[in-house]
Amino acid sequence: MVDGFRPATLQEALDIRSKHDCLPIAGSTDLMVQKARGFALKPDFGKPLLFIGHLPELHKISIEKDQIHIGAGVLLTDLLNSDIIPAIFKEAVCLMASPPSRNLASIGGNICNASPAGDTLPYLYAVDAQLVLKSARGERTVSVDRFITGPKQTDLAKNELLTDIIIPNKQFDVNYYRKVGQRKGMSLTKAAFQGMADIDNGMVADIRITFGSVAPTIVRSRDIEKSLIGIFAADIEDKVSEILERYTPLVRPIDDARSSAVYRKKVSLRLLEDFLRKISKEK
Amino acid sequence: MKDSISKPIQRVDGPAKISGEAKYINDMHFENQLFAKTLRSDRVKARIISIRRPELPDGFFIVDKDDVPGINRMRTVVSDHPIFAEDTVEYIGQPILLVVGPERETIYNILTHIVVDYEDIEPLLTLEEAEANSTVFTDYHYDKGNPAKAFAAAVKIIEDEYRTGYQEHVYLEPQGMTGDFRDGTMFVYGSMQCPFYAEGALTEALNLDANHIRVIQTVTGGAFGGKEEFPSLTACQVAVASLKTKQPVTLIYDRDEDIISSTKRHPSIVRYKAALNKNDDIIALDIDVLLDAGAYNGLSPVVLQRAIFSATGVYNFPHLNVRGRNFMTNKVPSGAYRGFGAPQTIFGTEMLLHNIAIKLGVDPLDYKMRHMLKRGDATCTGGQIRDVVKLPEIIQKVTEMSNYREKFQAGEKYKGIGISLFLHGCGFTGNGEQMIKGKIILKKNGETVILKVSSTEMGQGAETVLRKIVAYSLDIPLEQVKYESVDTGLIPDSGPTVASRTTMIVGGLLQQASLELKDRWDETENIEVSKSYKHPDFLEWNNDTFRGDAYPVYSWGANVAEVAIDPVTYEIDVKKIWAVYDVGLLIDETTLRGQMQGGIAQGIGWATIEVMETDNGRLLQKNLTDYKVPTSMDAPLVECEFISQPYEFGPFGAKCAGELPFVGAPPAVAAAVSNALRIPITSIPLTPENLMEMDRYEN
Amino acid sequence: MKIDFILNNQSQTIDVHPARRLLDLLREDFGLTSVKEGCGEGECGACVVLMDGKAVNSCLVPAGNIIGKSIVTLESFKKTERYKMIESCFLEAGSVQCGFCTPGIVIATESLLTENPNPTDEEIKEGLSGNLCRCTGYNMIFKGIHLAAERGNGLW
Repeated sequence: MVDGFRPATLQEALDIRSKHDCLPIAGSTDLMVQKARGFALKPDFGKPLLFIGHLPELHKISIEKDQIHIGAGVLLTDLLNSDIIPAIFKEAVCLMASPPSRNLASIGGNICNASPAGDTLPYLYAVDAQLVLKSARGERTVSVDRFITGPKQTDLAKNELLTDIIIPNKQFDVNYYRKVGQRKGMSLTKAAFQGMADIDNGMVADIRITFGSVAPTIVRSRDIEKSLIGIFAADIEDKVSEILERYTPLVRPIDDARSSAVYRKKVSLRLLEDFLRKISKEK
Repeated sequence: MKDSISKPIQRVDGPAKISGEAKYINDMHFENQLFAKTLRSDRVKARIISIRRPELPDGFFIVDKDDVPGINRMRTVVSDHPIFAEDTVEYIGQPILLVVGPERETIYNILTHIVVDYEDIEPLLTLEEAEANSTVFTDYHYDKGNPAKAFAAAVKIIEDEYRTGYQEHVYLEPQGMTGDFRDGTMFVYGSMQCPFYAEGALTEALNLDANHIRVIQTVTGGAFGGKEEFPSLTACQVAVASLKTKQPVTLIYDRDEDIISSTKRHPSIVRYKAALNKNDDIIALDIDVLLDAGAYNGLSPVVLQRAIFSATGVYNFPHLNVRGRNFMTNKVPSGAYRGFGAPQTIFGTEMLLHNIAIKLGVDPLDYKMRHMLKRGDATCTGGQIRDVVKLPEIIQKVTEMSNYREKFQAGEKYKGIGISLFLHGCGFTGNGEQMIKGKIILKKNGETVILKVSSTEMGQGAETVLRKIVAYSLDIPLEQVKYESVDTGLIPDSGPTVASRTTMIVGGLLQQASLELKDRWDETENIEVSKSYKHPDFLEWNNDTFRGDAYPVYSWGANVAEVAIDPVTYEIDVKKIWAVYDVGLLIDETTLRGQMQGGIAQGIGWATIEVMETDNGRLLQKNLTDYKVPTSMDAPLVECEFISQPYEFGPFGAKCAGELPFVGAPPAVAAAVSNALRIPITSIPLTPENLMEMDRYEN
Repeated sequence: MKIDFILNNQSQTIDVHPARRLLDLLREDFGLTSVKEGCGEGECGACVVLMDGKAVNSCLVPAGNIIGKSIVTLESFKKTERYKMIESCFLEAGSVQCGFCTPGIVIATESLLTENPNPTDEEIKEGLSGNLCRCTGYNMIFKGIHLAAERGNGLW
């Protein structure tokens, strides 16, 4: 068995992917921990590795019309250093892991790892990020909420690679992100909340609300969001309990080594409330 | 020497550590080295029915209880922990055997193919279960005055219960040892605090006398008590392995292995009954201390002693009834950790007084000050406070530095300030020092003086401080004072590096020896002076009744903590700690400040983010992803000052300092959180999860 | 897999399993023991080295990802002027106690100051947030880095 492949181009990588059962590995910060076997031992992946982190095609950040295209291999550090990436997204990225880990980790890796606590996900879900999946046969584009099918599960086919992430080139009027971690630095997420809204003539013109780490996948309700459009921002205050009630059954966290279900649920809804009150103070 | 001894110098071990040249045990190579990995119990409590081993390739070995030539127990205060499991396992992670060989992949492979057949036995999992089943390892008691009468006469009786949780040391360097039997001598190298503890354990396990054992401390990357008695277990394991294989055997712990199987701070429940007189002063306390010792007793009796002897904190209560019990539960054994029992009871007592004060509508600081010890008072065990107690000045200073009074009155929602008063008994408890009879040697070779002690440098600055004491006492340049390798073949036993005794006791002996050497300096080129510990005559201690001077002297302190609680998430932000300490004279100011800041950070961690829970005997937080210690982002600002009451019998007047800063931080933070949320706090760690449930502003 | 990379300014070619951790490569194959293993899960920073000038957790880097990269450890960094400044400031500020976290902290400091030669106190905290220290409580480490930035005129 070959231990690993190191293609020079994306095309080469896709060809290898179509011929071999292999594990794509970019920054490797998740995979090296998941398969770790202890001191001085190399991780055991069980199949050949396909190194893709170095592929130049995966490192672009560019604006195309009203969209931002991000290569799946773009490092978290590079997202932070880019002038193109929206500030609210950077708020989430700069709280991920630690500086040395952010110098290794890729946005594509965070998406494909599909952890319920994935830190890039609340924003990507909120902006309907589109994912470009390529294979030797062609390509398809799928929205992130269709791509991630469950905890640590994705729709990635055996011959596919995630190559690009497309998000709108847009800043919202109201931006809110909170990550509740185990401590201030280098922490996993107990609960995350992403809220963004546009206010036009005092009315809610667009609103996005997502929750992370409180369900098998990111929580978002387009129905509830739609129902808030057209409401006067100032009136949102009166509707807070009603909105909270509608989100309550959607937020279904678990107990684990990091936090309790009770806390995660309460804090998620409190963050939502805080965001809603922030909107109602917008002019 | 023109400069004061307090003036900081650059630590001698600094450059090697900064450049990465310092060699820790895992950096060392031994010829024909073999590696060892431990097979551990994955049952909470079970009988081992059989162990099926795969066939071993050439050069690979299994080492177990049958290979131990002597006694298969780790020698410590209570030698009950088997070096390798025998018929039963009593906690998840208990070591059963070693797989030893030249190559790690194969070792891993062999390990995963060993099949242990267990028969599960009903375990005891919590302190409450242990209490109900009376699985008591140790039961201590002492009293003072006439508590029964005092309670009968009480105007008010207040009862309360306080709890503290586990803590893991997370020394950055995991545990590790190498055993090498060559030329009839067992050499053991490794990361440790107490080479002579390891030597003692090895004599019993190997049936070898001390002349054929040499324990050598390697550069130790942090310890905090976690490498006090625990390394004796690893030392015996690698030594037995080396005897069997006839090659050097190295055992380095994986981090998660270290977390689940090495000793932890004792979780505690402390129950109080306070008798108040008509002025609302506490005149009697009934204290019941319950410590969770885990599956084996080990060092726990001594931890329990310090817990009960520190239980009255800085206060003078005329009548006392104090009981302490170590309970057996089927979990990882608890052991030494900075503070050694005192943090648990001082947390309880500080919060007790704080909560009683609030209940009475009295300022907590004023209430505490009404009960403070002063010179001439009797201690809780009927000993004497012989020196001036600088608490009033310490309190004055720390409240000024922090603006405590004003901030406490301000009472802004979700912002809080709290104060703690605390002490630490210097040196070994009771007659410990007399039992150890620590010895030091100073050897003059021409212009050089070699310092021979068993005190280990583990980051705290022992090497720097002890060399300074010698250099200043002899009035010679520091460069002429050398620190002998901590190798039991080369040094006398000056006792273990624990109990905040190194500067005061060992340093004290070094000062005496230096002064003698100074007188004799011109006698000849080579002179050797040795000194052994002599217990001061004025101290009295009865180890059966626990009456007398539990400690020769105390160091004192006060901490003020300022916190902000996030009103939405209940995350605690410890903004700043102000600290004032009396540790006698400072032997090196930077070293001292480093200890203070480090101790405070660990104390805050224990009080807030260091959550360690068990579920059915299994540790839920067993790696650094889940067990969280403070990062740089979590470090509060610390402002620290010293007010000194020098100790006549300490070198240059120095007392003890290593553990004191840990003790003060948790109750200060808890008092601040209590102040911020207007709720009584009775247990730590304080997590957003707990606080959200408890918040009165909301409920 | 054949791996060509630059280690401490010297070209190297090795043939290893591509999943082999960079940490083990450095410590075992090249004897560079300044790089420490503290946790093996990217949570402590003791294993941090410079990869193309940036701090990375070497326990998380598979050999297959170092092809064409330049790796620098303390063994060569300690010969530089920048190192000497860091060393003297750390000694003065009391930034070192047990020393196990220190090599990683030195590397993280170099990475931070290269990117940001005049960091604020907050930026120093963030830059070091991937390195655990259990001995010092961090404040004296911040002081050491602050001094190095202050005095290191032109070095970074």
